[in-house]
Amino acid sequence: MIGGGLVAGVFGSLLGLGGGLLIVPLLAFVFQLSLLKAIGVSLVCVIVTSGAAAGVYLERRVANLRLGMTLELFSAAGALIGGLIAFALDERVIAALFAVLLVYTAVSMARRRPPEPDLASAPSETATAAGDTWTSSVQGEDYEVRALGRGSLASVGAGVVSALLGVGGGIVKVPVMHLVMGVPLRVATATSNLMIGVTASAGAIIYLLRGEIEPLVAGPTALGVFAGATLGSRTAHRIDVRILRALFVIVLIYTAIQMIRRAVGAP
Amino acid sequence: MSVPLLGLDPTGSGRTEHRLEAAIGRFLTIGTYATIAVLGLGVLSMLVVGRSPLDAALPLDLARLPSDLAALRPEGLLWLGLLLVMATPSLRVVVALVGFARGGERRMALVAVGVLLVIVAGVVLARITDV
Repeated sequence: MIGGGLVAGVFGSLLGLGGGLLIVPLLAFVFQLSLLKAIGVSLVCVIVTSGAAAGVYLERRVANLRLGMTLELFSAAGALIGGLIAFALDERVIAALFAVLLVYTAVSMARRRPPEPDLASAPSETATAAGDTWTSSVQGEDYEVRALGRGSLASVGAGVVSALLGVGGGIVKVPVMHLVMGVPLRVATATSNLMIGVTASAGAIIYLLRGEIEPLVAGPTALGVFAGATLGSRTAHRIDVRILRALFVIVLIYTAIQMIRRAVGAP
Repeated sequence: MSVPLLGLDPTGSGRTEHRLEAAIGRFLTIGTYATIAVLGLGVLSMLVVGRSPLDAALPLDLARLPSDLAALRPEGLLWLGLLLVMATPSLRVVVALVGFARGGERRMALVAVGVLLVIVAGVVLARITDV
């Protein structure tokens, strides 16, 4: 279990994904845990891995604390909703939704191109003049945050996905912050990382109180994922991730097929 | 006279802003490594007593936790670690709330209170809807 978590942590870190996408299938298929228990453990791992990274991002002033806290108000509310929905759904429906997430991620990774020029915009006079709006509280030093309303709405969705499927939700938050809200990609990634802790813990508390977090599973898995993520972040610059990404797309597709089989109740 | 908390200085808004971020960053880093240390002890005690991850575990019982910890039982250490994992992000919000309140950022202090209320609502809803 520690080894499985280690592999998930290394892959997640090298490919810029949270570990949840790998931990849930690992626990559900290899260790035969129910999907709800796998998701509960995965949320714990997501909190642990995001915590250390978010700390470093804040100390280096890469993450936008005020934007992150404003959006996490909505992502935490979404996680609360997602956690309650998860317990109302049949596991086969959750498996089907997880399969959709896996296919979406696989397609996104397969189509990934070199990064586009940064879409961040410099602070405008209107933003500076709008001194009494919520948006003015979350502006960056050298970029303008816009569309806070749409970002808040998307954060609710990211929270629902996080608690329902046991992932960090960065797959929703980072593109929205970058493409819709005009936040530089690096800041969006760091801010998303900061938000993951509160979002995932809002969901994890529901799983904990419903008895769906197994301590003997969560401890070793979280340790493995944390060690793997640390190792991955220290070796990322030495590894050509293109081959790794191609391999990972195949793993995601294979896992999606297994999830679909579970969704339709195949033996 | 206000006392600095985790290096937070209530005077000088620009510098305080940066100090607040640095203080929260330090808190998160220390909190994460502390939880990893407790979870590590829990896993070590699992190995010592020969518990498999797939064994049935005792459910969380806060009344029994101190005695489990005193006896270094795997469940005690692991439950403590897991509670710390889940509490660290909320405590980070509390640190931010104190920093914002001291810096006079009422709007952000309200946001922090809102986040904490959502988490409390999660606890309450998980309890009352668990039938």
